Amino acid sequence: MKATCPVCGKAVDEAAARTKTGETAHGAQEVDPAKGTRQFHGGRWVYFDTLGCRTKFMARPDAYPSLGGA
Amino acid sequence: MDFGFTPEQEALRREVRDFIAEHLTAEIVEELEGLTEGFGVSRSVGRGPLVSRLFDEIAKRGWLGISYPKEYGGQDGDRITQYIVEEEFARVGIAVGLAGSGAPAILAAGTEEQKRAFIPKLISGEYSFALGFTEPQAGADLASLQCRAVRDGDDYVINGQKMYTSAAHTATHVYLMARTDTAVPKHQGISIFLVPMDTPGLTVRPLWTIQNEPRAPLGTTYGAYRTNETFFDDVRVPKTTLLGKENEGWGVGSMGLNLDRVGAARYLISVRRDEDIVNWVKTNRFDGYSPADDPAIRDKIAELWIEAQVCRLMTMRSMSIVEHGGHFTYEGAAEKIWAPEHGVRTSEAITQMLGPYGQLLNGSPYAVEKGIFAHNLMGAFQSGINHGSVQVMRDQVARRGLGLPSARRAGRPEAGR
Repeated sequence: MKATCPVCGKAVDEAAARTKTGETAHGAQEVDPAKGTRQFHGGRWVYFDTLGCRTKFMARPDAYPSLGGA
Repeated sequence: MDFGFTPEQEALRREVRDFIAEHLTAEIVEELEGLTEGFGVSRSVGRGPLVSRLFDEIAKRGWLGISYPKEYGGQDGDRITQYIVEEEFARVGIAVGLAGSGAPAILAAGTEEQKRAFIPKLISGEYSFALGFTEPQAGADLASLQCRAVRDGDDYVINGQKMYTSAAHTATHVYLMARTDTAVPKHQGISIFLVPMDTPGLTVRPLWTIQNEPRAPLGTTYGAYRTNETFFDDVRVPKTTLLGKENEGWGVGSMGLNLDRVGAARYLISVRRDEDIVNWVKTNRFDGYSPADDPAIRDKIAELWIEAQVCRLMTMRSMSIVEHGGHFTYEGAAEKIWAPEHGVRTSEAITQMLGPYGQLLNGSPYAVEKGIFAHNLMGAFQSGINHGSVQVMRDQVARRGLGLPSARRAGRPEAGR
């Protein structure tokens, strides 16, 4: 499923951001940091193209009213 | 009042130094540096064969978990003895103490079953925690955290995310702070869970930092090259993973953080470069110029040394309070302000003394002392932020030490979200 980064508008593949690419020393799944990131916001996951996009969002969440504001 | 160590304690310090001189061979250092990212190494990440043998030797001497009860794998020793051993090993980048807030919190608030399950294995290095407190929007204002744990029968179901879970890629468990009640003021609806890393739904995403690339020599920096963010998607854990009572996690977590701020390793990271620059100044000459003869350098080094002694005395005072059964709050906070800010002042002063060479990292043929001062400069500022920023610590000193009112926003405290 494709999500749209609310900050830069690029498409983010939700599945790719969650796909296991490795495993930690004690069994947690690892993902590829190049495949976007996400934030639990207002009770749901919002997907971002990069950490930079997420940082911009966090600085002004009220600028994205469709995501539920601050 | 005696500020000195007893003859027995001084003898122990010599014994530890002799042990390190005999056992910390170049081969072990090479293996240690391959196992970590330039940061101090503990047994939980030191799984190479030489390092394992080294820790076995340390354990044989009773130097692991000294101040913990024997029934939980400790030595029933005192904190000052533990401090001496930790201090000597921390100097060479080896963590023998239980750095982190998990073990003291379990000892104080855990069930008997949790104490027996965790503390011996934390001491032996079989278990280790990643600290799961900070979130993208909840760092200094930690109580605003949004990660949720919802009771479902005999389980809790966790959803949310954590930032800067630095050891998540090597740890066996997350020491997790999550919200269990959204209808009460934010500090009251928080609980702590001990979550195994291999629980389904737990995902680790690497974050790469400015530090330790290229790698600094072992134990010479404030942090590791890699940290992580950690996601929880319907992570189901049994209620036995709850530490302390539901919704009382803020007190448990704060107590553990306070204890974690005190100890040899945290004090030493802020003053180790003082010792290094004194040694460098004493042993280097350049075309007839000796930095040791330079009045400006001598004055600055003397000033830094005085500040470093304040760091050490503050650490010793906090430990003494705990050793005598007291509880400290603002004392640890004061120490957490003074030591990191001293580390920054030291780094800046050293940079001025060494000039451009002091900014070259490990690997450059012109780097001073394998770049430890340059690596330190990059990391020193971080120390004033992690484990309680100096701004938050100042607020604690003002409120708890000086009795000033809370610097709370106007109106009633926010309810948890």
